[in-house]
Amino acid sequence: MRSDVAEKLAKLPPDERVLLRPLVETSRGFYVGAGILAAITVWGMIAYILQVKYGLGRTGLNRPGYWGIYIICFVFFIGISHAGTLISAILRVSKAEWRRSITRSAELITVLVIGFGAIQPIVDLGRPDRVLNVILHAQWRSPLLWDVISIGLYFVSCTIYLYLPLLPDLAIIRDSGIKAPRLYRFVAAGYRDTPPQRARLERAIGILSIVVIPIAVSVHTVIGWIFAMTLRPMWHSTIFGPYFVMGAIYSGIAAILVAMVILRRVYRLQDYFKAVHFDYLGRLLLVLSVLWFYFTFAEYLTAFYGGEPGEMRTFWAKLTGPFAIPFWMMVAGCFIIPFALMSRRATRTPKGTLIAGIAVVIGMWLERYNIVVPTSVNPRWELETIGHYFPSWIELSIMSATFSGFVLLYMLATKLVPIVSIWEIKEGRAMVKEVADRIAGYSGSLA
Amino acid sequence: MGSTRREFLWTVGAAATAVGLRWSQDVVWEADVLDDPGWAPGVEERFNSACLICPSRCGISARVVDGRLVRLVGSPLHPMNRGGICPRGIAGVQMLYHPDRVIHPLARVGARGAGEWREISADDALDQVSERLQALRAGGRPEALAVLSGFSAASMQDVWQQFLRSYGSPNYVADDYYDGSSAVMALMHGIRRAPSYDLERADFVLSFGAPLFESWWSPLQAFVAYADPGAERPARPRFVQVDTRFSRTAARAHEWVGIRPGTHAVLAMGMAYVLIRDELYDAAFVARHVSGFEDFTDARGQRREGYRSLVMRRYRTEEVSAVTGVPVERITSLARALARSEAPVVVPGSDVLHAPNGLLAGVAVHSLNVLMGRVNRAGGVMFGSDAPVEALPTPAADATSRAGLARQPVLNGMPPFGDGDRPVRFAEAMAAADGPEIDTLLLYYANPLASSARPEAWRQALDRIPFVVSFSPFLDETASQADLVLPDLLPYERWQDAPGSPTYPYATWGLVRPVVEPPEGPVHTGDAVLALARRLGGPMAQSLPFESFEALVRARARGLFRAGRGMLLGDAFEREQHRAMEARGWWLAEHTEFEAFWDALVDRGGWTDLFYDTTDPAGIAGTSDGRIELLPRALDEALREVAPERALHVDVGPTDDGGTHDFPLRLIPYRVSTLSSGTVALERWLAEQPGLFPDVHWVPWVEVAPATASDLGFDDDTLVWVVSAQGRYRARVKVFPGTAPENVCAPYGLRHADGELANPLALLDGSTDVLTGLPSWFSTFVRLERA
Amino acid sequence: MTRWGMVIDLDRCTGCAACEVACKAENNIPTVSLEEADAGRTMSWMKVSTHVHGDFPDTSMDFLPRPCMHCDNPPCIKVCPVRATYIDAEGIVGQIYPRCIGCRYCANACPYTVKYFNWYGPDWAASERQYLNPDVSPRDRGVIEKCTFCHHRLQKAREDARVEGRELREQDYQPACAEVCPTGAIVFGNLDDPTHRVAELKDDARATRIMEDLGTQPKVYYLQARG
Ligand SMILES: Nc1nc2c(c(=O)[nH]1)N[C@H]1C(S)=C(S)[C@@H](COP(=O)(O)OP(=O)(O)OC[C@H]3O[C@@H](n4cnc5c(=O)[nH]c(N)nc54)[C@H](O)[C@@H]3O)O[C@H]1N2
Ligand SMILES: Nc1nc2c(c(=O)[nH]1)N[C@H]1C(S)=C(S)[C@@H](COP(=O)(O)OP(=O)(O)OC[C@H]3O[C@@H](n4cnc5c(=O)[nH]c(N)nc54)[C@H](O)[C@@H]3O)O[C@H]1N2
Ligand code: SF4
Ligand code: SF4
Ligand code: SF4
Ligand code: SF4
Ligand code: SF4
Ligand SMILES: [Mo]
Repeated sequence: MRSDVAEKLAKLPPDERVLLRPLVETSRGFYVGAGILAAITVWGMIAYILQVKYGLGRTGLNRPGYWGIYIICFVFFIGISHAGTLISAILRVSKAEWRRSITRSAELITVLVIGFGAIQPIVDLGRPDRVLNVILHAQWRSPLLWDVISIGLYFVSCTIYLYLPLLPDLAIIRDSGIKAPRLYRFVAAGYRDTPPQRARLERAIGILSIVVIPIAVSVHTVIGWIFAMTLRPMWHSTIFGPYFVMGAIYSGIAAILVAMVILRRVYRLQDYFKAVHFDYLGRLLLVLSVLWFYFTFAEYLTAFYGGEPGEMRTFWAKLTGPFAIPFWMMVAGCFIIPFALMSRRATRTPKGTLIAGIAVVIGMWLERYNIVVPTSVNPRWELETIGHYFPSWIELSIMSATFSGFVLLYMLATKLVPIVSIWEIKEGRAMVKEVADRIAGYSGSLA
Repeated sequence: MGSTRREFLWTVGAAATAVGLRWSQDVVWEADVLDDPGWAPGVEERFNSACLICPSRCGISARVVDGRLVRLVGSPLHPMNRGGICPRGIAGVQMLYHPDRVIHPLARVGARGAGEWREISADDALDQVSERLQALRAGGRPEALAVLSGFSAASMQDVWQQFLRSYGSPNYVADDYYDGSSAVMALMHGIRRAPSYDLERADFVLSFGAPLFESWWSPLQAFVAYADPGAERPARPRFVQVDTRFSRTAARAHEWVGIRPGTHAVLAMGMAYVLIRDELYDAAFVARHVSGFEDFTDARGQRREGYRSLVMRRYRTEEVSAVTGVPVERITSLARALARSEAPVVVPGSDVLHAPNGLLAGVAVHSLNVLMGRVNRAGGVMFGSDAPVEALPTPAADATSRAGLARQPVLNGMPPFGDGDRPVRFAEAMAAADGPEIDTLLLYYANPLASSARPEAWRQALDRIPFVVSFSPFLDETASQADLVLPDLLPYERWQDAPGSPTYPYATWGLVRPVVEPPEGPVHTGDAVLALARRLGGPMAQSLPFESFEALVRARARGLFRAGRGMLLGDAFEREQHRAMEARGWWLAEHTEFEAFWDALVDRGGWTDLFYDTTDPAGIAGTSDGRIELLPRALDEALREVAPERALHVDVGPTDDGGTHDFPLRLIPYRVSTLSSGTVALERWLAEQPGLFPDVHWVPWVEVAPATASDLGFDDDTLVWVVSAQGRYRARVKVFPGTAPENVCAPYGLRHADGELANPLALLDGSTDVLTGLPSWFSTFVRLERA
Repeated sequence: MTRWGMVIDLDRCTGCAACEVACKAENNIPTVSLEEADAGRTMSWMKVSTHVHGDFPDTSMDFLPRPCMHCDNPPCIKVCPVRATYIDAEGIVGQIYPRCIGCRYCANACPYTVKYFNWYGPDWAASERQYLNPDVSPRDRGVIEKCTFCHHRLQKAREDARVEGRELREQDYQPACAEVCPTGAIVFGNLDDPTHRVAELKDDARATRIMEDLGTQPKVYYLQARG
C-alpha cells in the first residue's frame, strides 16, 4: 500500500477503515489465487474456441442425450443467483436487521452469477453465431424465450438493485480518495448522501426489493418450465416451477454461506459476519433442507404412484439404475448432511455451515444433473434405445472455467467495492433505538 | 507511471480481443459453410436396368441428374420385385461412388503386396496380358491359364468359358453360388437344375433354414410373396421358419420353430411320419408320380424297405422331438398345417446341404414336397426355364487348344454329386509343392484371400502362380497381391444381362445398361476379354466375334425377339394380360423389327415369360420311368461306394456330439442381408445398421445368449476373440435372447474400421460332405475370449 | 383440406430397412464414423426399431419403422425459440435449417425422439458428393434435422401438376420410403381425401398411433393385428 493511501485510510472511521482496506491492500495469496483462476478460465475459453471451431461434436452429447453439462450449469448458476437478490430483498422487505452485513456479498453473487449462468445456453448452442435469431425471430410460445426475457429482466433489475445500495459506499470511497478518484467520481454519480438523496435512495431500494422478488421467482419458475413444458418423463410435472425456485433459494443461501465463511477468514470480517449470522442463515438452510426433502419426496412419490411405464423407466434409472450414485449423493448433499448439521445449534457455526453449504452446493449441482441427464437419455418411447452421456474434457473445462471465472470476478469485485455495506451497517447502528421500539411495538403493550 | 502501464495493458487487451473476435469469425463459421456443389436446375433422366448386387437380380430404376447417379429404386415393371428394392440395392450408388474405388489400371512395381503401383493405361494392361497369353500358347501350355470367377451373371460366364475353351485351358473355376440343390433335383427328379419356388401363389411357405428375408437367392421374391403388395390377396400366405438362429426371417415369419443345429432334416422326416400315419399326404400323386415309397426289390434282387416303412419305423414323433428339440405337438401341428393348406411349399435352405450329411438331408427335406404332391403345381416347386437367348457361336479350336483342353485340369476328382467349394479345392491342389503348374491366374469377381475358408492355401497357391491379374474395381485382399489390376466398370456403367434368380419360376432376363458415363481408366471386363480374344486372334477371335460386350448382349437378345413367347417387362396390367393370353395359347408380336424390339427392351429393362405350363409332365420328372425317386438309385449306389456307413433317409442328422470343454459353443455363421459382396466393406449407409439390431453398427459382432454372456462376464459391445481349433477373429458381443445358449451366431464378411476382416468361415473345421464337396458350416465349435 | 399422413402396416413390414436407407439416400443424410455411432450420433430420419420378447426358443421380435409423426399438435414446434420448426397448412412439420440456433430444445420436447442433430458438419468425400440429391439442401453443422415427409417431392409434384394443368394425384407425391418398400407396408397420402388409401386405412380396426394418449395427434398410423 502506498503511504499516502495508508494515511488516508487511517484517517477514516473504524467501519470504513476495516471494510475499505481490501480495496487498497492486496496480499500475495490473492495474486496467486487470481492467477490460478485466470489460468483455468483461459483454459476453458480455449476449450470453447475449440468447440466452436470443430462443432458440438466435441462434447459428450448425443441422441437422445441432447443436453448435458451446459444446461446443468445453466440451471445451477441461475439457481445460485437467487442467493443474493431474493435473500436480500426478502430480508429487506421483512426488515430483518441482521441482514445488514450480508446483503452486499449476496447481491454481488447474484449479478456475477447470472452472467455466468446466462452464457451457458449460448455455449450449448449449435449455432452461437445465430443467437440473435432469438430476437429477430422470437417465437413467444417457447419457454426458452420466456427465459430470455425473465433472465434479461432479472439481470437488469439485479444490477440496479446491486448498484443503488452501492451508491453511498461509492461516495464514501470517492470522498476518501483512496482509490481511482476518476472512476469512483464517475460511478458515484454525484451522490452526496444528503438527507433528500438518502430518502429517495431508500425509497428506490424499497420499491426495487419488492419488484425484484417476483422477477426472481419467475426466473427459476420459467427455467423449471423449460423442462416441465415437454412431455418427457419426470420433466412434465407441475411441481417444477416452485421446486426450482425453492431449490434456487436453497443453493443460493448455501453459496452465500460458503462465500461468507471465506470472506470472513481472508478479510478478517469477524466483526461483521458473526456467529448469529451463521446461526440465522443456518436455520434458514435447515428449513430449506426440509422443504427440499418435501418437494423431492412429493415429486418422486407422484411419479412412482402413477406408475406410468415411461415415467418408471426414468424413475428407476435414477433410484437404482445408472444414476443411483449421483442420486443418492444428491440426497446426502441436499438433505442428510445439511439437516444433520443445521438442526443442532452446536454445528450452526461457521465451520458447520461451511460444510453444510458446500454439501448443498454440490448436492444442488447433482440435482440439476439428475434432472437434466436421466430424462434426456431415457426417451419416452419404449422402443427407442436408451442413451448414455459422459461429458467430454471440453465440457468439463468449460464448466471449470465457469466456476473459476465466477470466483475470479467475485474476488476482483471485493477489490472494487466494500463487501459489506458500510452505510447500512452504520445506519443499523444508528437505528438501535428505533428497532427496539419497533420490536416492542410488535406485541403492543399490555397496559 | 502506474497509469501508463495500465493504459498499455488496456490497449493490448483490447487489441487482442478485437483480433480474437475477427479470427474466430473467419475460422469458424465461414470455413464451415458447405461448398456450393454448383447445382443448377439439372437434367433429369430415368433408366430401367437390373441390379447385379446379389443373385436376385431385381429390376431397378435409376435416377440420373446431370450425368450423376442420384438414386436407385425398384422397377415397378419387373414381375419379381414389382417396384420393391432392398437396402443393398439402394446402396449401389455408394458402391459406384465409393472413395476406395480403383480408377486406373495398376501394374505392380515393388514386391507383391507391398502396395506400390504404377498407373498404366488400359491398353498397356491388355497388352501385358495378351503378350503373356500369347507366349503361353506359343510354348504349348495353354492349360497354364486359369480363371477364378466368383459371381458371373449369364453371358460373362459364357464368355469366360468360350474364351478358355478356344484358348485351350480346362481351368475355369467358377464359384457361382453352388448350393447343392441342383444335385438333389438331379437325383430325385432327374432334372439337373436348381429348383424354383412359386412363392407368389403358395399359401403356406415352410422354410427349413432358408434365410428368405435376408440373403436368400431372392429376398425380394420372398418379400413380394409375403406381402403381395398391390394385388391384395384376401389371405396372405403363412410363413413358417424352421431355424436354429432367430433371424429376421424367423422374426417376421408367422411362426418360428427354434430347432437344434443340423436337425432340420430329422424334423422333416418326423413330419413325414405324421403325414403318412394320418394319411395326410397326396396319395394319388405319390401313386402316380413317385417311386420308392413302398417296399420294393432292387436291381440286385434284394428286398428293400421303401420310404413309408422307413419313416414309420424310424421317425416316431417322440424320437424326432428328442433329437430336434421340437415338442411332439408342434411336429404334429406343423404337419397338419402343411396338409391343410391348399398350396403349401417346402423350401430347404442351402444350409441344409452344408453339413457332413448334407445331400441326404437335402433329399429328406425335399421329400416333403414330393409327399404333398407339390411339384409342378401352382404355388409349389417348379423347374423354370432359361430365357431363350441366342447361343454364342460354337467355340473354335486349333491344335493348341485341343491339346490344352485334353490335359488334366487342376480341379480333378469331382465329388460324385456336386461341385462344392471349387475355390478351396483349387487352392489346395495348387498349394501342394508338386501341384499343377499355373502361369497366369485371372480373378474375376473373386477375392479368395478374404472369402475362402482356406486363406492360407490360397496364399500358397498365389505364391506358386507367377502372374496374377485381378479385375476387381476395389483393391481387395487378393487384388492387392496381384501383379496387375485392370478394374472392371461397376454395374451402373456397363452392359450386361441379368437372368432372374433360379428360385423364380418364370424365365426372366433383366438387362443391365450403363446409366452414367464411366470414368476414363476402368474397362468392362467383358470388353477386356473380347479385346484379348481379338489380340490373340485365331480361334479366340473366331469364338468371340463381338466388337463390344454391348454388341454381344444385343446379339443374344435376338433369341428373345425370335422366341415367339414372353413379353417386355411391363406394369401389372400388362403382366396379367400377357399371362392370361399365353395360358390360352395366344401370343402377339409387338415388334416386327429387331431394332425397335431392342430399343423397347432397353427402355423396359428386360424380358419375361410369366406363363408356366403345369400340365407338362416333363416338369415333374426326367427319370427313365418318369417318376420321382424318393430313394434315388444313383445315390444309393454311390453311398455303397463312398460312404457305406450311411443310409438314405437314415443319416440325415448331425454327426457331431456337441461342444467340448475347450470349445463349448457351436458356431452358426450366417450372411447379413446388407452384405453386397462377401469381401468388400459395407457401404456406409448399410454399415450404420447392418443387422437386426438398431444399436449394432459398423463393427463385426457375434450374437450370444444372455445366459452365456453373463456366465462369461460379457456385455453388449465387449470385444472378444472367437476362437476355434483352426483360428480366431475379433468381434463385439451382442447379447441376444433369440440365440440358443449353446450357440454363437456369427455374421460373416464384415470388417473392422481398420479393414480387418472377421471371417468365421476361416474357423470352420474343414469337414465336408463327400457326396457334394460342400463344406460343413454348422459343425465347428468355438470359445469366446475377452480381447 | 389436405392433411398428409402415412400408414405403416406392421403385419407386412419385414424390417428390411429399405425405407431407412432410401431415406438416407434421398435426403442427403450424412453417415458418421464408428466412434460417432458408438457415441449415439447416427442419423436416421426413418429408423426401424425393434422390440424383442422372450428367450430362445420362444423369442419373438417386433419391427417398427419410425419416421417423424408429423403431429397435428406437435410439442416440438411450440418450444422452438426461433420458429425454426413449424407446421404448415397441410400438416407437414418442417425445419428451417438456416434459422435454427441448435439449442436442441425441440429434440428434447419430441416424445418420439425423431430429431437429429448435426454434431459435426457432413463429411462427404469428393466422389460421394456426386450422389447427393440436388432437390434436398444438405444441412450444415449445429442444426436439427428430421423427416420432412419428403416435402421436396411435394413441391416437385405440385409444379409438375401445375405445368400439366391438372390436379395432384395420389401417386404423384410419394415419399422415398414408401416408394421402395418391397412389401408395400408404407402407404402415404392425404388423410382427408377419401379417395386416398390412407384415408381408409387409418380407420382400419388394426390402426393405432404411437403414444396417442399424449394428445400429439400423430399423422403416422400403424396397422397391427392385436392378440
Ligand atoms: N445379402 C446377400 N445375399 C446373398 C449373397 C450376398 O453376398 N449377400 N450371396 C449369395 C451367395 S454367394 C450365396 S452362396 C447365398 C448363401 O445363401 P445361404 O447359404 O442361404 O445364406 P446364409 O445366410 O449364409 O445361410 C445361413 C442360414 O442357415 C441357417 N442355419 C443356422 N443353423 C443351421 C443348421 O444347422 N442347419 C441349417 N440347415 N440351417 C441353419 C442360419 O440361420 C442362416 O440363416 O446367398 C446369396 N445371397
Ligand atoms: N468373409 C466372407 N467369406 C465368404 C463369404 C462371405 O459372405 N464372407 N461367402 C462365401 C460364399 S457363399 C461365396 S459364394 C464366396 C464368394 O466369394 P468371392 O467369390 O470371393 O466373391 P465376393 O467376395 O462376393 O466378391 C469378390 C470381389 O469382387 C469384386 N467386385 C465387386 N464388384 C465387382 C464388379 O462389378 N466387377 C468385378 N469384376 N468385380 C467386382 C469385389 O472387389 C470383391 O472383392 O465367399 C465365401 N466366403
Ligand atoms: S435383392 Fe439383390 S438384386 Fe434385388 S435389389 Fe437387393 S441386392 Fe439388388
Ligand atoms: S421398407 Fe417396408 S418392409 Fe422394409 S422395413 Fe421399411 S416398412 Fe418394413
Ligand atoms: S414426432 Fe416429434 S418432431 Fe415430429 S412433429 Fe411430432 S413432436 Fe415434432
Ligand atoms: S434446435 Fe433449432 S429447431 Fe430445435 S428448438 Fe432449437 S432452434 Fe428450434
Ligand atoms: S417421408 Fe421422406 S423424409 Fe420421411 S422417413 Fe420417409 S423418406 Fe424419410
Ligand atoms: Mo456363395
